[in-house]
Amino acid sequence: MTGKERHDLAKGLAFCSPWIFGFLVFTLVPVALSLYYSFCDYSLLQNPVWIGMDNYRTMGHDPVFWKAMGNTFYYAAVALPLGMIVSIVMALVLNLNVRGQAVYRTIIYLPSLVPAVASAMLWLWLFNSKLGLINVLLGRLGIPGPGWLSDTQWAMPALILMSVWGIGNSVVIYLAGLQDVPRELYEAAEIDGASAWGRLWNVTLPMISPVIFFNLIMSIIGSLQTFSTPYIMTGGGPARATYFFTMYLYDKAFLYLEMGYASAMAWVQLLIVLILTGLAFWSSKRWVHYQGK
Amino acid sequence: MKQIKRVVAALFVLCVALVLAFGPHADVAPVKDRIIIDYWEKWTGAEADQMLQIVDWFNQTVGKEKGIYVRYLSMSSVNQKTLVATAAGAPPDIAGLWDTQVAQFAATDAVIPLDELAREHGITEGYYKPVYWKGCHYRGKLYALVTNPMAVALHYNRQYFQDHAQRLRMAGLDPDRAPRTLDELDRYAQALDEIVRQPNGATTIRSAGYLPLEPGWYIANTGLWFGIQPYDEATDTIQLDHPRMIQAYEWIGSYSRRLGMVATSDFRSGLGNFNSTQNPFLVDQVAMVQQGPWMANYIENLKPAWNRWKFSKELEKGMSVAQRKQNYVWAAAAFPSAVPGLQDVTYAAFDMMVIPRGSKHPREAFEFIAFVNRQDVMEKLCSLHCENSPLTKVSDEFIRNHPNPYIDVFERLAASPNAQGASPVAIWPQIGDELTNAATRVNLQQASAREALADAQIRIKGDYERFKKIQRLRKEGER
Repeated sequence: MTGKERHDLAKGLAFCSPWIFGFLVFTLVPVALSLYYSFCDYSLLQNPVWIGMDNYRTMGHDPVFWKAMGNTFYYAAVALPLGMIVSIVMALVLNLNVRGQAVYRTIIYLPSLVPAVASAMLWLWLFNSKLGLINVLLGRLGIPGPGWLSDTQWAMPALILMSVWGIGNSVVIYLAGLQDVPRELYEAAEIDGASAWGRLWNVTLPMISPVIFFNLIMSIIGSLQTFSTPYIMTGGGPARATYFFTMYLYDKAFLYLEMGYASAMAWVQLLIVLILTGLAFWSSKRWVHYQGK
Repeated sequence: MKQIKRVVAALFVLCVALVLAFGPHADVAPVKDRIIIDYWEKWTGAEADQMLQIVDWFNQTVGKEKGIYVRYLSMSSVNQKTLVATAAGAPPDIAGLWDTQVAQFAATDAVIPLDELAREHGITEGYYKPVYWKGCHYRGKLYALVTNPMAVALHYNRQYFQDHAQRLRMAGLDPDRAPRTLDELDRYAQALDEIVRQPNGATTIRSAGYLPLEPGWYIANTGLWFGIQPYDEATDTIQLDHPRMIQAYEWIGSYSRRLGMVATSDFRSGLGNFNSTQNPFLVDQVAMVQQGPWMANYIENLKPAWNRWKFSKELEKGMSVAQRKQNYVWAAAAFPSAVPGLQDVTYAAFDMMVIPRGSKHPREAFEFIAFVNRQDVMEKLCSLHCENSPLTKVSDEFIRNHPNPYIDVFERLAASPNAQGASPVAIWPQIGDELTNAATRVNLQQASAREALADAQIRIKGDYERFKKIQRLRKEGER
């Protein structure tokens, strides 16, 4: 290495040092410590006591852990595909060349700008079984509305329904993807006599599949980490019907002072996210098409 | 190019210098020659301002004399912030927490014992009402002192009782008084319920006499009115599935069984928030509720007419407590017990001040805690926050001028031998959550009281055994 190269390297490292320092101190060290604590009993205030795999073993027969896990998977299994389908449909509609297109796009995007707490408060009113707009409208149609947030059967569907409210971000990403689809492919398909459905199925969806794939990965991570909305709206109730994995993790860490158990839960969560993401990557070879490949 | 770089660098340095010189500074100017005590408290809004009055009083008097200045910071999630700050070695000198955390924080060495400091200031057992004194202890050591005590009582809507007087009389009940036994409470509730039968045969509740889960803040302590604690301190046993606990939970479930689970659930989900003008007690949707003495303050803010039933507030001045009580639409009485002869049962909770481990000035911090516990200061704070006093001695002025005309009821309840606080067990937060969940399950008829409590017992017993095992391991490690 010449003197100039060494000088350039030092300069480069100096410029990167804030990030390197931040990554080491605020990410790598805490992550490594949380792995260590997951094998300990640790209340945050006393020295950790090594207990080996006890935290992981306890999870195996902790009914609340499994309940929270089940709720999270239920939510992810329904909210994720629902959100993706609605987002794609909305993006397709908003991609049509109609008057006031920009206004519609803004309207769809606006809810994702509303803070989580504000939208939770709004939906609390909408879901109010007596005075809420949803049940009032259902009542006008002669359908008795359920106790959305008070009924164990309906609380989770209510949260899933609400999740669709915040699709603005993914709609914008799909829209960008749709605008990248080459016009000549549609023209070729039309010449070949493809119907609108055929064009959607054989041109649009394959061409935006990288975008769908990106949104899928982000949604898997997001839905498995759902916290603020149920925390504000239901507190995990009624009878733990909306008690999510991350809520239990939070309670374990900060209410029950079982930081070791919470760390073990976080590692289990990471493992699940990794497996699901890995599965998505593995399956992507079959359905994600990149232009030029 | 070099010139531009130099100009940019010079501008950057100038910006930094300007920010340092004129940028934001700490709100409180350093107080010369005084030790600064950082006090973190949970209250916000009016309650925070009222505590600030006490802090200012200290800073202008005792603090000035002893060279101490209390820097007051009001915040949300104070327990978690205190915990993290303590773990990081930078705790406040005083933290305002909740009584349910005494055992948890003490067991994890998050707070320091105060016995010696309290003794030096003459704060001993006789100074406090027994329930609060006991609540400040864990395993025989004093870890906290009270700021905001309360006792739970039955609040009932006298106007609603009068509107339904005929129905109550027909049921053999007196509309001019509160129920005195739990059985009587159930009968009052039934007579006061307004049920509407729909054309399809379903029922809806227009208003309810009483609902155990409305607001249900103390549902985990329902056992107290059945003569049982969830945790037996003498034998160090968790007893969630004790027959009397089951009896208590069967009583909780009896309401949704009688009124209909769907009807109860629908009714409750349509009720307004506690701190709003739609508070179900204030809009005649629930005639009786279990609440603390602060209810008078909330009524004053949300429905002042209820505190001026017969005459204006001005006329109350100089009146006796009995005369004042006539001016209120609502009244408070001991929540009736299920056990014959068990009188004046209450759940007595409190907010408290602790000194976190690692506090830089524990002695000076305690000066402020002792100041707050002075009878005159405590009575002022409790009047402002509309609470009863935790102290044994209570002045006549406190009772006479208190914003809650029923404060004598709360004082009697808090001083009662049947007043009980949170169970002194380190895993109380888990127990409380589990008992609340069991009550919800019973109310939703998802499980019988026996099943719900058996599930809770298995889970909590496991948690407690695990906790004790770790404590043993920790002690062995220390040796």
